Amino acid sequence: MLSNISLSIHSGERVALIGGSGVGKSTLLAALREQLPNQVAWCPQQPGLVPMLSTFHNIYMGTLGSQTLLYNLANLIKPLPAARQAVEPIAQALGLQQQLYRSVDKLSGGQQQRTSIGRALIQQQPIFLGDEPVAHIDEYQGETLLQLICQRHPTVVLALHDIDQALATCTRIIGLKQGAIVLDAASDQLQAADLAELYKANSDTQAPQNAG
Amino acid sequence: MQCQLIRSLLLILLWTGAVAADTTNKPEFVFTAIPDQDESHLQQRFNKVAAYLQRELNVAVRYVPVKSYAAAVTAFRNNQVQLAWFGGLSGVQARRLVPGSRAIAQGYEDQFFRSYFIAHRSSGLEESDSLPETMAGKTFTFGSKGSTSGRLMPEYYLRQQLQQAPDQLFSKVGYSGDHSRTIALVQSGAYQLGAVNYKVWESELAAGKIDTDKVRVIWQTPPYPDYQWTLRGDIDAIWGADFSARLTTALLEMQDPELLASFPRSAFVAADNPLYQPIVDTAIAIGLIDAEQ
Amino acid sequence: MLANNKTPDKPDTSAGALRRVSLWFAAIALLGLVIADISVTTLDPWTELRLMVAGALSPSVWSWSILASSLANTFAFALQGVTLGAIAGFSLALGYRFTLVRAFCSFIRSIHELFWALLFIQVAGLSSLTGLLAIAIPYAGTLAKIYGELFEEVDPLPLDNLPRRRRGLSYLFYTVVPLAWQPMATYTSYRFECAIRSSAILGFVGLPTIGFHLETALGEGHYSEAAALFYALLFLIGSLRLWLHKRLLPLYLVVVFVYLPPQAQLSWQLLVRFVTEDIVPAPLRNQSFNSETLTAFSQWLQLLWQQQLWPGLTNTLVLGQIGMVFSGLLALALLPLNSSLFTAKRSWARGLGDGFLILLRTLPEYLLAFVGLLILGPSMLPAILALGIHNGAIIGHLLGRYSDQIILRADASGGVTGYFYEVLPRVYRQFLAFLFYRWEVILRETAILGILGIGTLGFYIDSAFETFRFDRALLLILASALLNSAVDQLSHYLRRRLHLKTTPESL
Repeated sequence: MLSNISLSIHSGERVALIGGSGVGKSTLLAALREQLPNQVAWCPQQPGLVPMLSTFHNIYMGTLGSQTLLYNLANLIKPLPAARQAVEPIAQALGLQQQLYRSVDKLSGGQQQRTSIGRALIQQQPIFLGDEPVAHIDEYQGETLLQLICQRHPTVVLALHDIDQALATCTRIIGLKQGAIVLDAASDQLQAADLAELYKANSDTQAPQNAG
Repeated sequence: MQCQLIRSLLLILLWTGAVAADTTNKPEFVFTAIPDQDESHLQQRFNKVAAYLQRELNVAVRYVPVKSYAAAVTAFRNNQVQLAWFGGLSGVQARRLVPGSRAIAQGYEDQFFRSYFIAHRSSGLEESDSLPETMAGKTFTFGSKGSTSGRLMPEYYLRQQLQQAPDQLFSKVGYSGDHSRTIALVQSGAYQLGAVNYKVWESELAAGKIDTDKVRVIWQTPPYPDYQWTLRGDIDAIWGADFSARLTTALLEMQDPELLASFPRSAFVAADNPLYQPIVDTAIAIGLIDAEQ
Repeated sequence: MLANNKTPDKPDTSAGALRRVSLWFAAIALLGLVIADISVTTLDPWTELRLMVAGALSPSVWSWSILASSLANTFAFALQGVTLGAIAGFSLALGYRFTLVRAFCSFIRSIHELFWALLFIQVAGLSSLTGLLAIAIPYAGTLAKIYGELFEEVDPLPLDNLPRRRRGLSYLFYTVVPLAWQPMATYTSYRFECAIRSSAILGFVGLPTIGFHLETALGEGHYSEAAALFYALLFLIGSLRLWLHKRLLPLYLVVVFVYLPPQAQLSWQLLVRFVTEDIVPAPLRNQSFNSETLTAFSQWLQLLWQQQLWPGLTNTLVLGQIGMVFSGLLALALLPLNSSLFTAKRSWARGLGDGFLILLRTLPEYLLAFVGLLILGPSMLPAILALGIHNGAIIGHLLGRYSDQIILRADASGGVTGYFYEVLPRVYRQFLAFLFYRWEVILRETAILGILGIGTLGFYIDSAFETFRFDRALLLILASALLNSAVDQLSHYLRRRLHLKTTPESL
């Protein structure tokens, strides 16, 4: 999918990956995840939640590694105070406090995506890798959530399809086309129109295949 | 739901722990008997014997039913029962497995017990002085695999007189499980031939359960020692120094005809282990037990 | 078996391959029929059958208290056994990716409940502990396999999305386990029904379940009593779904453990003796290790092979093969009874067919074979019938449900033509999958039918127990376990090779 890419991202950067569908954004993100698996909070496009568990448990899953098996099991049966203290503020910030103890298969697509963000936030990693993390969330809320993500992570790499969001949120824009980097610039040197080109040309050559 | 399940599992754990701690040493004296005939009435028959022993010995006595000869021996070996009414072979097996145990009494008739070879009319075999050569190629059923009168002695005489192992001699060899079943199977023609305990044959004949037009005796074995009461050696330590002596007396003095009919025997007489040496030798000869090392 | 396939690594999925394998199996079964003894030896099977039918029509209860207590015991052993089996099976399934764990599970489930019971009776007597363990151990092996396969089949995404570092069991409990929970529960409840059958059958070797009295009554020809006991068993199984609700399960669990706490008078001495003496091959017992004992041992082994292992293995394989092919034929014959393709317009017919197959499925093959022996006399015939009826009904039932998903063209022909040209080709792949999945189970059953007097491994195992030669018994049991594991592997290989898919819960 990707061809011969060399890319360095520095700590503190907020990078947006943009480009049409199928150009390799997700593949690039996954490759980034492989580089530093232990410092990354991962927020994929498919939330991949466990439908029969509650929002609380799906968010809590991000911190499983920092607790003992016994604690985790007890918490699975009945949410424990310490775990609630960790999860509830995040749920609050994501606007999920009403749905916290409901199983996630009863949530809307947007709520599920927010749960997925919650699961990444709770990990408190230095790097956040997000693949269209706010695609199914309305524009205003999406904006807020992206701000929240940036506040809590020094380094952020996001695949985004919304060019305005990318320009507003990120400090660096990387444009992809057919698996190659065709654009890499600071966001304050770019206009929305420059980026629109990326999509136009792309849609001619690229047959829509696997999304992302 | 998972939570509820786990809670009840914990509760169960506690309960079984408590029960396990609780059931050490109930001084109830338990005995069994090999299920040699009429299995459904075993419980009835032997509950009366249990009541008699309880009266005579002044301790709680219980009878437990078992499904097979081997199960009786295993229960005796595991100390689940302390006393058992065994056949000749099962008694020998039990005493080999439980050092210190001994035969204490046998039925009067057990001093000269016999097996009958029986045949269905369709086999064309008649009563004779020895086992007829014409048995070859027919179907044959023993009683239980571990029976003295239904397996051990008949097999011994078959091998001795016809010089062949049963499964070579007959077209089919079965093990009915008990003597009543052997009679029923030969009477129905499921097997052409069979070997039974003469005592069971006589009592079923008297009870009118046998149709002599269909099945008849064709040969009887010479006498041999059979059924006996066998007692574990370690019981005096639990029930008192003279317990085994009192128990032996109670058995030997059993006179109620109704009780004796459960066995069915006319009386009990004293017995000891060496009395059963012929059974041991026969069992070794046909490979049912290994020679002692 | 597949010698005529030139490229062993390339999966062969054409109908030709399925046909070839089926023909091979049928041919081997036919060959088996030539060797096998399938005569009717009873002079007048009709008399016995008439008596049985008369008994079945006039059930009578000999003792209500015995009926009730043996029914309660049957239920208690089954529930306890499955609970313990599920807990152990679940724990094993967590490590199912390790070959050693897989092999262990395969081993413990390849030994039939009855053989486990016979082993435990030697050390724990006819106790409630024996009953519990005899069911729990093989069921743990089966459940571990099913759970393990379900774990492998869940959506991998949730687990993949979690942080990669310090992954422990917690991760499984939060992702894989909840995802697999529903099918696990469904399958476990199906196994519970099987466990009631197993529990009933344990009575045949002396445990106080309904089989204890059923065996006596049948053996003595008290068919009215037998019928009452049998109907009680059917009623227990049939009514489960009415009162065994998930929410009441904890209550029932507490009740059965209070009613029948698993206990036994275990003697440490006896246990040590069993392990260090009884099961040690006789020539090696209490002997120093030298060339003489080695010669004695090899002679012992040779004799055992000639007289018991070889005939036992051959008969088990022959009977198992015939039983399997007969099961398959019967399943295909029964299919129209409970497939909506044939009964679509008459829902009552479908209900009737379904009920009939469930009834046949509920009959334990061991019991069927026992009854068959009483009617037909001793030969392999009753065993073949028993294996075929029980397993054929199970496969037929599954196949019926599978065929419900098939949509035929509106102008597809019906009746016999439709069966052979439209339906059979469509279900055949799935049919083979079910049959191969069942193969291992059929063979395990075949081995234990020997206890009834048919010359399979069970006959020699039972004889060894009867004469207290536990060394032989253990060796024979191990041989039967090995045979089952080998067949399990072969079946796995064939299913993969022919691309036959079974969902684990369909076993």
